[in-house]
Amino acid sequence: MEHLARIESGIPGLDRLLNGGLVAGSSYIVQGRPGSGKTIFANQIAFHHAARGGRVLVVTLLSETHERLFQFLSTLSFFERERIGKEMQFVSAFDTLQSEGLDEVVKLLRREISRQKASFLVVDGVLNARSRAETPIDTKKFIAELQGHAAFAGCTVLFLTSAKLDDSSPEHTMVDGVIELGEDIAGARSVRRLHLRKTRGSSALSGLHEYEITENGVVIHPRLEAVLAHPSTAETLVDEQLRTGTADLDRVLYGGLYASSNTMLVGPSGSGKTSIGLSFLSQSTVEEPGLHFGFFETPGRLIRKAKAFGLDLQGQIEAGAIQMLWQPTTERLLDALGHRLLDAVRRGKARRVVIDSLGAMARAAIRRERIAEFFTALTNELRVMEVTVVASWEADNMFDAGAQMPPLELSSIFDNLILLRFAEDQAALRRILSVVKVRDGQYDPSLQELVFTANGLRLIGTSRRAEMPPDAVSSRPGG
Amino acid sequence: MTTILVIDDEFLVADILAFALEDEGFMVVRASHGRKGLDVLQRDRPALVITDFMMPVMNGLEFAMAVRARPESASLPIILISGAHADIAREYGHLFTAVFDKPFSVEKIIDAVVQVVGRPS
Repeated sequence: MEHLARIESGIPGLDRLLNGGLVAGSSYIVQGRPGSGKTIFANQIAFHHAARGGRVLVVTLLSETHERLFQFLSTLSFFERERIGKEMQFVSAFDTLQSEGLDEVVKLLRREISRQKASFLVVDGVLNARSRAETPIDTKKFIAELQGHAAFAGCTVLFLTSAKLDDSSPEHTMVDGVIELGEDIAGARSVRRLHLRKTRGSSALSGLHEYEITENGVVIHPRLEAVLAHPSTAETLVDEQLRTGTADLDRVLYGGLYASSNTMLVGPSGSGKTSIGLSFLSQSTVEEPGLHFGFFETPGRLIRKAKAFGLDLQGQIEAGAIQMLWQPTTERLLDALGHRLLDAVRRGKARRVVIDSLGAMARAAIRRERIAEFFTALTNELRVMEVTVVASWEADNMFDAGAQMPPLELSSIFDNLILLRFAEDQAALRRILSVVKVRDGQYDPSLQELVFTANGLRLIGTSRRAEMPPDAVSSRPGG
Repeated sequence: MTTILVIDDEFLVADILAFALEDEGFMVVRASHGRKGLDVLQRDRPALVITDFMMPVMNGLEFAMAVRARPESASLPIILISGAHADIAREYGHLFTAVFDKPFSVEKIIDAVVQVVGRPS
């Protein structure tokens, strides 16, 4: 199998989507309404290409001046003014288009590609060319002629247009790839998304991918389940069990959680999910570090919470055994979160991960139907990275166990399921824990009362209520 | 009537300069790149040329070199308006009467033109 030569785009995420970059000598249509970031997208690739020794020609068919373009690009980190006029040429073909027509523009550009020895060409404003053309066939001819010449010269071309060209438009049939920059609206949120509509000659990751425009330009977050449709490496099966940090829970689990497994803690607010997660994390060491990927409580609050039942989280953080990664649940992108988590695990070589909570993460999803596929890809990847995961899911019903379950497709992804809820016992409210699933393992399915003591969490078999320790500090919700 | 040649591939920039010069009473002829500029030069015999640097087909520097190589235009005043590469242009300072950076002030360019060729007759 031959591998096509590719031009690295320099746009984070894009090369991954395109299986290495743009195919050298190919042409692409980049379409999107004004403000979608087409110009930034194209110039970011152009500056990256120039920085790697390539030669760039940017041709505008628009009336906006280059000086305005430079002023606006100068606010972005990739912009290097000193390259302009040297390895990067910006010329306008607007006047030629207006006074002499498309054929002359093609001639002009053919000459310019050879004159500049350009290996990357951007033609901005193909919509103008289209409105100028008597029939759509004329732009088809324009694109065909230009890309024919560019391909011969080994030059990669981006045609930028704000026209909404559909899949059957003649322009689309001419080019090797079509990249659409658009947005998804969900409620009051708007999320930018990139759509690879057509990519010829490679196993590119098609479909929709979220992107942002930052001071560094365009950042694309490839859809996690597309990038990791198959985990990056093979799984190594181990039978080792890890201590959960709660001795009683190890007893119920007949030894602890299996290494590289993932566990979902389901329960209402205040039922003890976060505390069980912190106990699990407290078993991390410098050799086998842990990562807390949290949304609601800040690291400071978590440290205080852990201290109340005898854990020195602060000390472990300072020693480098635990890393806290906190993000508020404000507007977030699902894939950005997924990649952030995986990158942090990779960098910190974490072996234990607590996600608190999955629901907060899922809330970032604009398209709910993706959630199951997303978490499947995420948990599979964490498994091959030999990470043991404990994740929480907020149940909205405090008492009725039946209504507490997360979406079925989500709970089936997880190896182990532990249910937490409240039970009224005369004048007291008690936390009840039960293990409902352990994949490929034995466990004690009986109901346990979860009790917070100054020395850690305790589980007390409900048939042995009398054995409740005298140092129990709280079994009220929210403790 | 004093004729000025404005060469720029960006029609907006050319427009702004041409309108301002016409308001001053100059006659303005235009070209969208250096090669066309040479043709217009031959035909309209301008008293002064204002040219952009970065243009298709023939850039401002190549244009100035071609103009200087012709005996009949060897001493024709040329003003260069340049964006990012005024430094490249200044290396060839002997070719140009004046060099302006973009974004430029129209008044200053008019002043420079008047200084070289005088008020339009």
